[in-house]
Parts: sequence; C-alpha cells; structure tokens
Amino acid sequence: MKPSLNWDWAQRLLHFGLLRSASLMVPGTHREEWLREWRGELWHVQQACKPMGAVSGRGEREVTAFCLGAFQDAISFKPASSQRKILSIEMEGTASRCLLVLGAILVASYTVSLLLPGVRAEQSLWPRRVNPNLVLIQEDGYNNGSSPTISPTQFRSWSGRRQKYFDGFAFYTVTRETLGPGLESAGLQKVSASNAAWRVARASSNFFVLLGLPAEFAEPAVMAGGDLPKVILSETVWKREFSADPHVAGSTVRFGPRVVRIAGVAPDGSLGLPGRVDAWMLDSDADKESGGAGYVVAHLTAIGAAAMWASCVHITANEPDESQDDLMGVSLEEWRPAPRTLYLFAVFLALLSVPAVTSVSLGEYSPNPLRISWTRRLCLWSFLCAKILLLLPIVYFLSLDLAYGLTTIGRERASLLQLVSSFAIFLAGMWWVLKDQRQRCPVCIRCVAHPAQVGQASRTFLDWNGTEMMCMSGHTLLHVPCVPTSWFGTQRWLYLDPSWRFLFASSGAGWGMPDSPTFDRPLDPLGGNRWPH
Amino acid sequence: MANPAKPSEARLSHTAALILQALDAGFVYGFSIMEMTGLPSGTVYPAMRRLEQDGLIHSHWERQSIADEEQRPQRKYYKLTAAGKITLEASRRRYPLLERLIPNEEAKTV
Repeated sequence: MKPSLNWDWAQRLLHFGLLRSASLMVPGTHREEWLREWRGELWHVQQACKPMGAVSGRGEREVTAFCLGAFQDAISFKPASSQRKILSIEMEGTASRCLLVLGAILVASYTVSLLLPGVRAEQSLWPRRVNPNLVLIQEDGYNNGSSPTISPTQFRSWSGRRQKYFDGFAFYTVTRETLGPGLESAGLQKVSASNAAWRVARASSNFFVLLGLPAEFAEPAVMAGGDLPKVILSETVWKREFSADPHVAGSTVRFGPRVVRIAGVAPDGSLGLPGRVDAWMLDSDADKESGGAGYVVAHLTAIGAAAMWASCVHITANEPDESQDDLMGVSLEEWRPAPRTLYLFAVFLALLSVPAVTSVSLGEYSPNPLRISWTRRLCLWSFLCAKILLLLPIVYFLSLDLAYGLTTIGRERASLLQLVSSFAIFLAGMWWVLKDQRQRCPVCIRCVAHPAQVGQASRTFLDWNGTEMMCMSGHTLLHVPCVPTSWFGTQRWLYLDPSWRFLFASSGAGWGMPDSPTFDRPLDPLGGNRWPH
Repeated sequence: MANPAKPSEARLSHTAALILQALDAGFVYGFSIMEMTGLPSGTVYPAMRRLEQDGLIHSHWERQSIADEEQRPQRKYYKLTAAGKITLEASRRRYPLLERLIPNEEAKTV
C-alpha cells in the first residue's frame, strides 16, 4: 500500500510540475488564473481517469496527456484583444505595411549613420581636397617618395629666392616620437597606449595653408594661440586613438619632452604625400631643426603648371655652390571617388546585373486589360516606384554604416567595402522588389499567400506543375510554373468570381470594393474551372 | 480593406463548431467538452480561448463556497454569448451533422 501511495504522489508531482512548467510560457499577468483553471480541470481528470486513487497505467497516461496539452494552450495563449488581432490580419501583406517597413529601415539606417562617428567623419571630411598644382619635389630617380631627398639647405635656398615655376614651398620631415605621459583633457584618456610611438611629421607652419586643407574641428582660438606647438592629427589616429571625438581640438599631448596642443584633424589619403604620418607638428623652424633630408611640397605658378606633363614636371635647380641639380616634381592631386560617386557607380552596376539574378518581367498582370482599371494599374506602378525610391537611400545609408562605421579600417578599404556593399545590397534589394511586385494582387496590391505546390514534376510537360498562391482578400489566384515552358512561360493571374467567396467570408473579402473588376466568369489560364487546393 | 466578419457570417473550423455545439448542449467546462468531442486538451483549451477572444463564448468562475462544499478546486465554466448562438446556428447549416454528433439531450446525462 505504501509504494502505491508514493507512486501516486510522484505522479501528482509530475503532473503539477508539467502544468507549472507550461505556465511559465503564459504572460505573468494571466499566469495565476491560467494555472488555476488547469489545476481545477486536472483534479476532475484525475477523478475520472483514476477513481478512488487506483493505479492504472492507462489512466496515468491519459492524465499525463492532458497535462501535456497545457503546453499547447500556453504557447498559443495570447491575451491580445480581438480588435488588435483583426487589425494585424488586415494589415498583413498590404502595400502600406510594406512601405512602412521600408520607411522604418530607412529611418533606422539613417539614424545609425548619424550615430556612428566614422560615418559622420567621412561625410564631414570628404569634400576636402588639396589645392591644385601642388607637387612633391624629389631628386630625379626617387619618384616613389620612399625616402626623403631634399636637404634643409636646398629648401632654404629655394624658398629664399624668387621662383619662376613656384610661388610657395613647405618642408617636412618624418620622425618617430614617443607619446609620453602627462596628457590633459578627457579626450586624451581614450589614448590606448600612452607610450606608443607615432610617426610625426614636423612641417613648416604654412604647410596646411599651402595645401589649402583646413584642419577639421580646429577651433580658431586654438589655431591662433601660440602658447604651445600645434599638432594636426591624421584621420586614422583620430579615429583609432580618440574614437573620432569631435572635441579633440584643444587637448594636449606630450611627444618626449615636448608638450603640444592638438589643433585639428587632417583627412587621410587626400593629401597624396609619401609615408604614413600619424600627426603633423607645425613648426616655423622645422627645416632648421631638422638634421637630415626631408620632403618639399611646392605650389606651381601658371608657367610651372603649363610645364607639367603626365602629372610630373622636370626641374633643374641652381644650388648655392653654382651646381645644378636635376629634380622631379610629382603632382599631389589624387583621384579618389566620393562616397556618393561610389554609391552611384555601384547602383549602376547593380542595375545592369539585375537581369542576371532575377527576371525583370513583372509577370502577366492582366490578360484582359478591361478587367483592371487604369487607376489600379497606376497604383501598382506607383507602389513599385515607391519601393525603389525607398530602397535607394536605404542602400546608401546602409553601405555608409558598413563601410565607415568601423573606424579601424583604412580609407581605401572602406571605399572598397562601400562599393561592394552598395552593389550587393542594391542587387538583393532589387531582387526582392521585383519578386514582391510579382506577388502583388493586381486588384488590391496585397501580397498573395498560402502557397500550394500543385501537379507533379514528372508531368511538367503534360499537365500543370507549379505553385499556386491566393490573394488574402480573395480577388485573385496566382499560378507560377515550376519550370517555364513554351506554353506557360511566366506566372498568370486568375481573377476569382463570387463563387469563391465562401472561402473568404470570415475575412470580409473585397468584392464590395468600388473599383473591383467585374467577374462575369472566372478567367482560367489553364482553360477550365479550377478549385482551390 | 477587409471588414471584420459579422457573427452570422463567421466561418468556424469544424473543431470550433463542435465546441460551440458541446457548450450549447450543456457541456460547460473544458474536460467535459474533451470527453464529449474526443478532442485532446491541447486542442480544446486553445480553441476555447480563441472563441472567448472572438466574443462567441464567455467564462466565469464558480463560487468558491460550492467548490469548498464539494472539497475540490474551483472550476471555470463557459457559456455561449448571443453572438456565439448566432454563429452556432450558421455553423449548423454549414455542418448539418453537428447536431447529430452532439444532440442537446446528451447534456442531461452529464
């Protein structure tokens, strides 16, 4: 008797445990009442299946099966009001819902682009270009700029004399400086390694004026202040070490024994200067303090510009010792497409590629043009245009987010990533737009649903084989062939007559629509009345 | 845009129609409907919740004193609403065998 009692309690514990577990899937506000009802019912089930506490394998199984049913009830338990459910069903697959979703994606991608510092920086830094007619002067034969070749003496000699080909010079040398402790301002706390070695270019104070490249985020007070030497950070360092902080100007850093003040940020890449530089230290005595050779940037006069050939100009310099030196001036102008140009190019390429990934045909919309009013057709085309118009900015902002959101990758890689992502997203987007459009009911522009595979693959050429989908408002039936044949090459629409209404009575089918087509008899592309599957 | 169905137009599944018929026949709680229809608990209870959400049936708890008197847990009872009765009439026309499956007289035996 005792084992039987224990077994009974174990069973009761199991059943109660099942109900309690299932109740965890029910929203908290309804859980207690839900569990109360199931426990009440369980008592009656136990009484019916195991009268007087008798042990019965079948009875136990029935009670357990009853408790397992609680899981199904809990999963499907939705306390939502019926009005909300009806609204949800009514909105499903509609054109307005589709446009709303696209609009939400657009807003989200645009918001992300505003939040990502890398994207903001790209948009603010991009329009900067160096002045035209700028050349980097090097010894002839060192055109790759791999090593500096101009001595400070040469530079002083040229800049001190009136030149026929040039009207401005700037000198710089690149050295390695160790970033020391003693950093000020909150922005500098973000520096990853305070004793990291940076490649610092010590340049003439007129360097950025000659380049015509105002430092971004520079504050006039900082630029004008002469208390400390000024440093212009490279864009890469600014993003990497300062997390693209736009308030970095005014902070100070220590290079070895020297404390310098950050004056702004210079964009990468567009300078076209040799060597990787992390920061530009502006110093009027850069050439005097430099012990070795450096680089010279010069601005060509009109005569000098006319002498340019293939982005180069040959120069013969008269040295102070009356000797002549053969030099080469290489143009600094670098062509790099703007993000917008890259995007447009990618979209153009993707448009050309669309026929390779999907059919550009929208299917056989109206075998009988009289059946669909021109306003409906206009709505259909407007919907297609609206989707494409929403897709374009989505692709632009998403590609910006992907390419420039990561501040750790270089500008060239980011450009490549933007090109690839723009192409891929737009191609995928167009594939979806056309696929979605082909599945829109020509009467209500609602997406067809409930796909049913019909026919047999082995009988493709003898009978109908493909997929059939139905308009959720009950206007149309869409036939999509599995294998296009000469007699059934593309999808076709069957306009349903009121005899189909019984299927849609509960959803209030749109036969009462004012501009619904007239349905004298069903138009069956297969040549007969077909019944829903 | 589709309009919500009027009660008389609502097309119920056979299961839902069976449950309505059982309720109308006097089987007023979940387990009795299960026994009458032969449907499992995982079908009956979710269906009754949907019917309640659609306003075709409504539920109420029996008085605690009754449950205490019979020394058992409190029980929840279901009842057809006016809309449910109209829908059931429409369903009977659609499923003529419904009344034969669960005649109203059977309730007397419960």
